[in-house]
Amino acid sequence: MSESELTMAAAGHGAAMEESPYGMQSKKLAMWLFIASDAVTFTVALVAYGFLRIGSPDWTRPFQFWPSIANGLIMTFVLLSSSLTMLVAVRAAKSGDKHKSVQWIGFTILLGIIFAGLHLREWFHMFADGWGLFKNPTGGSADFGAAFFSVTGLHLLHVISGVVALAVIAWGYNRGRLDANHVETTSLYWHFVDIVWMFVFPLMYLMNAQ
Amino acid sequence: MASGAVEHEPNMGTYIAIWAGFLAIVGIEVFITYRHPETKHLLFILLILAAIEAFVGLLYFMHMKYERKILFWTIVPITIFVLFMLDHVWADAYRLLYLRLTP
Repeated sequence: MSESELTMAAAGHGAAMEESPYGMQSKKLAMWLFIASDAVTFTVALVAYGFLRIGSPDWTRPFQFWPSIANGLIMTFVLLSSSLTMLVAVRAAKSGDKHKSVQWIGFTILLGIIFAGLHLREWFHMFADGWGLFKNPTGGSADFGAAFFSVTGLHLLHVISGVVALAVIAWGYNRGRLDANHVETTSLYWHFVDIVWMFVFPLMYLMNAQ
Repeated sequence: MASGAVEHEPNMGTYIAIWAGFLAIVGIEVFITYRHPETKHLLFILLILAAIEAFVGLLYFMHMKYERKILFWTIVPITIFVLFMLDHVWADAYRLLYLRLTP
């Protein structure tokens, strides 16, 4: 405890605060705890998909390389690249280069929007082909639609939420209301969303490739 | 992992190398998928490759490697324990077997 903190505590002007054992701000630790809980959510969703798949003797493997797997590869490239642009933004924020940081957050947001656009375009093509949450136009298990749209929808919701969060952070950081720590904390969420896709793509797309 | 607070972070070259490595792993995943191995073998391989990506991403992109060790030991083992128990041991792990959406 610093001398000033001890003095304040002795004078009754505030609680005596110990340094965090994690050596980080509480908002960053809170983000880590949120990520841990969200990792549980995604894992349970993917395991539920596994149960449905094992329990369905007529499971469908509908994805052809073109366009589904190819589209998934492009989406993977876009999302992985957005993690790279976010890393540049965090480095710039830590070095005090606000303009560069906001610019690279902007690139990250753009890549996030492209990812969401590609995802929604794929969904609408599937809807047009007769797929739905409980519909399978091939006549196989309807559980495929339930699992696919639930898991990819949950991930898409995280991407869209991340884009909104990044936009808010960039706006606040640019106006001086937020600092580099906010940028870094939000980047943790964005990288997490990227890591989750590293499981969603192979399990939901490649495992269902024809 | 660092024992103290943030010490140093990798340069952009390291990040780009990891990004390229991730893309290469995804390429390997697609290549293996179209070799059409048995489903259980494909699942095992894809999960291992995805876990490698997640671990590297956690350490480098999310900077856990450069945080205090206590963060890793607080978050990772407990999360893995909960996931294991939830998916394989606790009662809900078996509930889905009786919740089939189709007959």
